[in-house]
Amino acid sequence: MAKEAIFYFEKAGLYTTLQGAGNKGQQHFGLPIGGPMDQTSAKIANWLVGNEAQAAVLEITMMGPEIIVKGDCKIAITGADMSPKLNDKPVSMYNTIAIKSGSKISFGRLNSGCRTYLAIGGKISENKLWSNNVSYALNNDNFVFNKKIEQNSSLSFKTNGSVEIKNHVEKRPLLFNNKIDVRVVPGPEYNLFSKQAIKSFFDNKHYISNQSDRIGYRLRETLKHCNQNQEIISSGIIPGTIQVTSSGKAIILMNDAPTIGGYARIANIISTYMDNVAQLKPGDQISFSI
Amino acid sequence: MVFSPYGDKAILINFVQEISLETNKKVIALNNAIASAQLKAIEYCIPAYCSLTVGYNPLLTSYNSLCKKIKSLSTNRNSNYKGTSERTLNIPVCYEEPYALDFDELIEQTNLTKKEIIDYHTSTNFRVYMLGFMPGFAYMGKLPQPLYCNRKKEPRLNIAPGSLGLAGLQTGIYPFESPGGWQIIGRTPIPLINPEENKTFLFKPGDLVCFNAISNSSFLKIQNDVSSNHFNWESIYG
Repeated sequence: MAKEAIFYFEKAGLYTTLQGAGNKGQQHFGLPIGGPMDQTSAKIANWLVGNEAQAAVLEITMMGPEIIVKGDCKIAITGADMSPKLNDKPVSMYNTIAIKSGSKISFGRLNSGCRTYLAIGGKISENKLWSNNVSYALNNDNFVFNKKIEQNSSLSFKTNGSVEIKNHVEKRPLLFNNKIDVRVVPGPEYNLFSKQAIKSFFDNKHYISNQSDRIGYRLRETLKHCNQNQEIISSGIIPGTIQVTSSGKAIILMNDAPTIGGYARIANIISTYMDNVAQLKPGDQISFSI
Repeated sequence: MVFSPYGDKAILINFVQEISLETNKKVIALNNAIASAQLKAIEYCIPAYCSLTVGYNPLLTSYNSLCKKIKSLSTNRNSNYKGTSERTLNIPVCYEEPYALDFDELIEQTNLTKKEIIDYHTSTNFRVYMLGFMPGFAYMGKLPQPLYCNRKKEPRLNIAPGSLGLAGLQTGIYPFESPGGWQIIGRTPIPLINPEENKTFLFKPGDLVCFNAISNSSFLKIQNDVSSNHFNWESIYG
């Protein structure tokens, strides 16, 4: 029988959101694709608690929340290693964890990566504030995207009582590196860029700037020899696209990027690498190769 | 149409690179033909002024076979490629204060009177070229040449939902509160995003749109009707 568990957020963390299947198929209305930034980690978390692969999970960014759980449930924590704790004792990632009513889930030091995923065995309760399979929410008649979970708010779940305890062999945090090289394919406007611009794109190491979020990652260094001629008639943009402003600022577009943009697209990151890009944080290093 | 790979799971189809009614009609016709073909491998489409981005699942199809399939849709005269029905929406707009913010600047830029600006705006049949920038934001064109205006030098930090703006030869309505640089000349009481209704988004690409000037008191009445669920939505679909 389905029972309920309530997650009460004593602390919200830096940027905690609920991410479901996303909004694929609604891009002609201008809706971003959305969904978990690191899809693989989110899927593993759902697998560990017996959920469908695209069930809504908590996406926790760099600094974790403090959650008091009312009601028994099973959870799993994957993605970035943020030193998760259950009742103030370290708890392992990548396996199913049984939670007793009244327990506290908290996080500590960020050891690797940027985004942690927490899945709860069962379904988030239908309510007006959260929609189950989309990354936007309706609140006070405003459409709010990836609405940040606020301090003292709560989420309720219909828990699945028959979740079996599982363990996932691959410990992904070990794969997260603060220096990565990703493969790209040339973007639609590749040929509009000067040789020097392309050379600085491929030869240089780039750093993720502080202006980086679910919409996009701005890179800190500017590309050389970029100019106004590279502006285009606004056209579709998709996650993984690297667009460059006329002043040479490169931006990697992520899940919540707008669907239309007018900057030249120098390259697209091969989609396999996007989960690892999602685990980069400001200050981390990225380089590109064909 | 020029097809090219866009990343490893999308196709970019470029039409003549211009902002024109003729080209945009082709983009939307192809978008609609693809939508009605309901190809399993296609995950989403992004129609823009003169391009169509098609996202697909590479495990279900290949780039080449999908390009071929899309080309066959575009040449198949029996498909919905040509005769997609166009809706006309009649959107009430109050061009008065406190909703109109930039008439002074516009009068200076265009050398027109406020009445002339409103007359031009309400007597033009607009078309939704594309949605983007933010969910539900429709880029509509074209403004009559005399209404051409520049964006504001400093974008506003907060524009109220429903605000109607002009930029270049485009007009558009902000679906929800956001920063923005368009010249604001009025506001509609109709919500552009309405998840309660089946019509989540008011506009879709290819819609025809007319604006009707309303008074402050009608604005408040419609706003009231909408929030109390008494608004007759049929009244805007002309």
